[in-house]
Amino acid sequence: MPILESSRVLDLSNERGLLCGQILADLGADVIAVEPPGGCSARRLGPFAGGVRDPERSLLWWAYSRNKRSITLDIEHAQGRGLLRRMAAAADFLIESFEPGYMTSHGVGYDELAAINPALVYVSITGFGQSGPKADYADADLILLAAGGPLILGGDDDRPPVRLSVPQAYLHAGADAAVAAMVAHHERVRRGRGQHADIAAFASAAIATQSAILAAPLGATQLRRLAGGLKLGPLNLPVIWPAKDGYISMTFLFGSALGVFTRRLMHYLCARGYCDEATRDKDWIGYADLLMSGREPLSEFERVKEVVRGFTRAHTKAELLDLALQHGFLMTPVSTIGEVVASDQLASREYWRRIQDPVSEREYTVPGPFVKFSASPIQYRRRPPKIGEHNREIYIGEFGLSNEEFSRLARAGVI
Amino acid sequence: MNSDGPLADVKILDFMWVMAGPAGTRMLADYGAQIVRVESPSRIDTARTLQPYQKDAFSADASGLFNNCNAGKLGIAIDMSNARAREVVLDLVRWADVVTESFSPKAMRKWGLDYESLRRIKPDAVMLSSCLFGQTGPLRQIAGFGNMAAAIAGFSNLAGWPDRAATGVFGAYTDYIAPRYTAIAILAALEHRRRTGEGQYIDQAQAESALHFLAPAFLEYAVNHREPRRAGNSDRDLAPHGVYPAAGEDRWVAIVCRGESEWRALCGAMGKSELAGDPRFAALEARIANNAALDRIIGEWTAGRAAADTEQLLQARGVPAYQVQNSSEAWRDAQFKHRRHFVEIDHQTLGRTTVEAPRAILSRTPGAVRRAAPSLGRDNQYVLERILGYDAERISELALAGVFG
Repeated sequence: MPILESSRVLDLSNERGLLCGQILADLGADVIAVEPPGGCSARRLGPFAGGVRDPERSLLWWAYSRNKRSITLDIEHAQGRGLLRRMAAAADFLIESFEPGYMTSHGVGYDELAAINPALVYVSITGFGQSGPKADYADADLILLAAGGPLILGGDDDRPPVRLSVPQAYLHAGADAAVAAMVAHHERVRRGRGQHADIAAFASAAIATQSAILAAPLGATQLRRLAGGLKLGPLNLPVIWPAKDGYISMTFLFGSALGVFTRRLMHYLCARGYCDEATRDKDWIGYADLLMSGREPLSEFERVKEVVRGFTRAHTKAELLDLALQHGFLMTPVSTIGEVVASDQLASREYWRRIQDPVSEREYTVPGPFVKFSASPIQYRRRPPKIGEHNREIYIGEFGLSNEEFSRLARAGVI
Repeated sequence: MNSDGPLADVKILDFMWVMAGPAGTRMLADYGAQIVRVESPSRIDTARTLQPYQKDAFSADASGLFNNCNAGKLGIAIDMSNARAREVVLDLVRWADVVTESFSPKAMRKWGLDYESLRRIKPDAVMLSSCLFGQTGPLRQIAGFGNMAAAIAGFSNLAGWPDRAATGVFGAYTDYIAPRYTAIAILAALEHRRRTGEGQYIDQAQAESALHFLAPAFLEYAVNHREPRRAGNSDRDLAPHGVYPAAGEDRWVAIVCRGESEWRALCGAMGKSELAGDPRFAALEARIANNAALDRIIGEWTAGRAAADTEQLLQARGVPAYQVQNSSEAWRDAQFKHRRHFVEIDHQTLGRTTVEAPRAILSRTPGAVRRAAPSLGRDNQYVLERILGYDAERISELALAGVFG
């Protein structure tokens, strides 16, 4: 039995919140995407299947609408709002990602709907939150990453900070929103009442600073960006290293936990003739202190990194991954999407799922369940819906509209 | 304890360490879950050794990362290799609703704490294991951190400039994604248990959870047979879309136009209204094609201006813009302040310290930072006495046997 099988979710969100509803849908909830006539704004964002700009072909929509059904409803229309209120009376969750105040100004804010359905869990996802001096700021992925702190930490030191080329800020927010929905649901089961959850993407994105955002209040040195790594004070610490056929990511750090791995690697390198014993036997636990205090010159650290590069450059990504497995080194290949799809690891775990394309009905491969539950496994039951694909099924079949009412609302452009 | 939190009835025995796992249970602690976190008295949690350190002074308690990931939890130090540790741990298993761990797949079996063993002690046990690549498969035993999962899962290659090698995402990127799915999976399994009486085992591969944040890239590959590429700061649907220089050393401002009216507003703000009519920039397709020239013009305008001034000027006209904030700026930022994002709390050895607030603001049962992250073994006495009901004699006997290191 799917975990949230008996829960109904009205998902009014757009590109800011699609992931939240999909997570609840993966857990078995009946998630109804409530789209404006003409389709959700996320459907206007690429990439598009076959490169054709068509709301039914947005791969962003496909990526985050699996397991949902779709109806259309015009919230700008008084009758649309009336319908929404009636549906909300019987819903367990509502997810929305309009600008702050939009839902309230249309009479379907949290207070209005809670008056009808006190058990409703109402989740709002915005760029900057529901209130505050910048709540009405215009947003976009890059803007939220700039505000939330991760952007300044990424990129080459001789160029502007750079983002990941797949938008991330609203995914952080959507995932946080799903956590909030589950927390509120847990409490509702015990106490019978719902509540409003306010998620702000800029704050959600701050997790991607790895707590570096706390440097100022803690009085600590702030990290600086570096191509393929980071800068800590005078230290250039690479994370990305060259291989014979591309790059690897390697943790080459110091201290009582990580220095042990560095020592292990240096012993291996010495045994293979990459360095002398004096280099091997440096104090890898206390090495950062040696460098910071000047007892070890930075030029010597540069030489050490060149030694290590000599080793990584001499091997392919696959060879280095094998060595990591055999010897417990901290390195993995920097992989392309194609290489990830071809991964033996993911294949052996039967990770990938096939799902139907809503346009041509061909099957395509998508990331599989986010965890493996032994007793209540996540199922991909439905392909992403077309715009309003379930209007009749839901409005007439489940919601009890008569054929006449349905036709009248359709003619009026409400649905 | 925590009787006010929405998760006050959730009890977790937490063996997770470093970042991805503890950040997940931290989210539950924010809402009142009782979490007893087990640490080794001799093998230091890697997170305790990671930056930033309070006042740049390293100690086992000074890591802001550790304190951020573990606020709100109880901490006990137990030497799992000690023969008598097991009786304490088994009592905690009986107490807990959920047991979590993030070792490599062998460790829990070695201690007789794998799911099958737990189920014999507690038939409706929920157990979650979280590691980089999951409990099965050729990479199951690989040691490592989230930067490695980010690389092998495709993130690192998609960050950087098209004319250069990938710069990679900052830090242990999959460790920022996996915690949400950890928290969701735990609450989902408890819901399943409530409805059916049945416990279960959850196998979380952090890389597999994280791949959901690249789903559009995988679809592009699967449907369009096209390998997604890194694109600097440019965007497939929007232009201008970039990070531009500002006055000061390493100061930047991000600016995006989501449509024609924002583009015209930007031109007006720059005092270059004529640009809106320039055929090179008149329509989105043209602006994307002439992105380099566009970025140069905007960059010349922003370079002499304070980033915060540009942000305010453009936002007042409805154009998405923000200074690219470092920690100092985020700390002073009016919107972070409004959300009370930086939370000062008392700490046993640091005096006061600062952690981040719960992310979601729940209207009726808001989250809270209920206590600082534990110093090693801070809550041994509390847990043994108050949670397990051990008397003083038994506690000192266990201490003499070396259970606590």
